[in-house]
Amino acid sequence: MFSCKDSIEKLLDFLDGKVPPEIERRLEEHLSACPPCVAFLKTYRATPGICRKALAKKMPAEVASKLTEFLHQKLKGR
Amino acid sequence: MVQETPQATVPQATPATIEEESDLLERAQSGEDSAFEALVAATRDRVYGIALRITRSDADAAEVTQETFLSAYQHLRELRGSIFSAWVQRIAANQALMRVRHRKVAQAAETELNGPTFNERGSLDPYPASDWSRRADEKALDAELAKAIEKAAEALPEDYRRVFLLRDVEGLSYEEITEITGDSLGAIRSRLHRARLAMRQAIDNFYNGV
Repeated sequence: MFSCKDSIEKLLDFLDGKVPPEIERRLEEHLSACPPCVAFLKTYRATPGICRKALAKKMPAEVASKLTEFLHQKLKGR
Repeated sequence: MVQETPQATVPQATPATIEEESDLLERAQSGEDSAFEALVAATRDRVYGIALRITRSDADAAEVTQETFLSAYQHLRELRGSIFSAWVQRIAANQALMRVRHRKVAQAAETELNGPTFNERGSLDPYPASDWSRRADEKALDAELAKAIEKAAEALPEDYRRVFLLRDVEGLSYEEITEITGDSLGAIRSRLHRARLAMRQAIDNFYNGV
């Protein structure tokens, strides 16, 4: 039977549907008997969404203004 | 491209739906400059964001954003069967990576990556104390958590950080990332997994007061 370590090593492939059927079966067997790994899987899966929010950047107004001016200058008359 | 005015007005950045984007793109490709302006306004935050995260420099990010939209305008008619926002994201990622490639960045060793710890039987040790996965659905994030995430992302070794940003933050496909970075799919997937484990650990530490 897979250990927590074996299972966690396969999580990305598992979530992407990239594990062979036999590995998937063994992983699901472990998950069905291991609540901590289920909790781990949920937080692993949630990590990109939380990071995306945390790292979202809005262009500062001054930079947006300069971008518009730049495009005016470069593209006018084309 | 746009009508000349004494001072350029900044169009509002509004996220366009795929249908709106497609309509704007068609009009921009027909020479309607206001449609291109609207595309720029709808995508500039994403383009600037990816440039800033990769270059880690406000000045470089601003320049990469300019170059990206200039290049997009120049090659607009070549864009077929693709989504404008995804296309400019790829251009921005390429431009930003070209800028940082020659830089010597202090690399953290892979062994310094954080992640779960296991006991001698390979069981999680300690067990996760809290399930914070639903926090991903919350509209606003705790400012302190956002800082902790930024810090953890900064601490990732460059190869890992790059893959994490392109895949988990920007949502590029694995194929796009292999094309942009020149790295193998296997290397990308392996780095992404390790990077995501490290980022998960940073969030877990935050929620568990570690």
